[in-house]
Amino acid sequence: MAGWTGELHLDVENRRGKTVAKRVYFQGALKVMRPIYHNNTGEVCYYILNPGGGYLDGDRYRMNIKVEEQARLTLTTQSATKVYRTPEGHVYQETEIFLKKGSILEYIPDPLIAYQQARYKQKNIIHMEKGATLLYSDIITPGWSPEGKRFSYDWVQLINEIYLDQELVAFDHIKLSPSLRNVETIGSMEGFSHLGSLIVIGEQTTPELLDRLYQAIKPLTNDYKVGLSQLAVKGFTVRILANSTQMIESIFTNLHHMISQEWFDTTPSFLRKY
Amino acid sequence: MLDRTLSLFQLCDSNFPTGAFSHSYGLESYIQEEIVYNQETFSEWLRVYLNEQLIYSDGLATRLIYEALEKGDMDKIWKMDRMLMVQNLPRETRDGTQRMGERMLNLVESLYQNPVLSQYRERIRHKQSFGHPAIVFTMVGYHLGVSQENTTLYYLYSTVVNLVQNAVRAIPLGQTAGQKIIQEFQGDLAKATQKIQMLNEEDFGIVSPGLELAQMMHERVNIRIFMS
Repeated sequence: MAGWTGELHLDVENRRGKTVAKRVYFQGALKVMRPIYHNNTGEVCYYILNPGGGYLDGDRYRMNIKVEEQARLTLTTQSATKVYRTPEGHVYQETEIFLKKGSILEYIPDPLIAYQQARYKQKNIIHMEKGATLLYSDIITPGWSPEGKRFSYDWVQLINEIYLDQELVAFDHIKLSPSLRNVETIGSMEGFSHLGSLIVIGEQTTPELLDRLYQAIKPLTNDYKVGLSQLAVKGFTVRILANSTQMIESIFTNLHHMISQEWFDTTPSFLRKY
Repeated sequence: MLDRTLSLFQLCDSNFPTGAFSHSYGLESYIQEEIVYNQETFSEWLRVYLNEQLIYSDGLATRLIYEALEKGDMDKIWKMDRMLMVQNLPRETRDGTQRMGERMLNLVESLYQNPVLSQYRERIRHKQSFGHPAIVFTMVGYHLGVSQENTTLYYLYSTVVNLVQNAVRAIPLGQTAGQKIIQEFQGDLAKATQKIQMLNEEDFGIVSPGLELAQMMHERVNIRIFMS
């Protein structure tokens, strides 16, 4: 249990208005590419890379991300995280994030694709100081299966624990287990294949903003279902059930643009990947 | 022993005024979408709500709280109070549950003299705790000497009975249909309690996406008879 298949440590700080790496360390099957500055806000963007091309049986990954005071980091992946079959042991990924006062983290990984007989557990533990801003999203998608089954993975479990000044303020626990029960039913995936989640925490959150965000994304078709709700602290979550990654990504991008415009007077950069 | 179990039954009565009659936990969204419209479709929703949400949140909490009371581990109880609050991501159900917890606590405090209940109330007054019906119920069950398994079972039962009563009014269903569902669910409740005995603490707070989405969507419903 001691070894990690891949490890990544990234610590960024604000040096005279520009966010730069204070420490970058990676080993095994995780790495980051060189930093990219998409605009002149000083915000740095790092792309996480899985040189192995996918998560395999029993793999264990660990990330540790620190954003120091007033630093701005966008973190994404270079491509989707693919989890293949795990006959022996489930894949585990653990990420611990520290956000200092006035820092901004936008953590927008590509979707997770869980293939036939995949088992995957992910735990994100996020420690925020008051005045920090977090935007995090994830998308769970079923991978192609030879039999054409819609949900061929065994189970996928995502846990998000968010602490604000040491107090637990949000606990998000999703576990989809198509191998144990039918997930197509009412109350579960309800006929959809993709699940998207967005968590935003920022002191500028107001009920009026949430009303406007909801108006912008409220479904006028049956192509997706969306819920948006305020957290116990200043922030909110969004859940989307849909049938494609593109559908969920376009809604999240829309929300991301509105929030960036409203809070930072900036437009998020298009994260070119291919 | 019998008389003390009877005392806990008082809290299970759907007339016990905690405000449970005004919360549907997202059921109303399904009724408005005409996905839930009769006895069968309601039973299907209720089974998912019981097995995919309730047992991992309130249900598992009753067991963990009871065990903490046995050990006198009060910090664990206050931690669970926060966990129950913050794992409830839809604002309406979170706020509604908190109000029910406070009301239930006020009521049982006028029925029972118990230092743990008073301590809980003091913490809520000082904004150190939030208040949750599963915690109040378990504190009373433990105080009355009812076993952990039975306390868990009766808590699940009271939640299910309240939801059936709400469905009878909202769908609407006949009173006989409502009683049939309650009878039909006795086996499900026993199984759910057995499952809770087998769960790990790591299983706490698992939610089912559709149920949670319906609870969030309810906040945006214009015409409604329930508060959640």
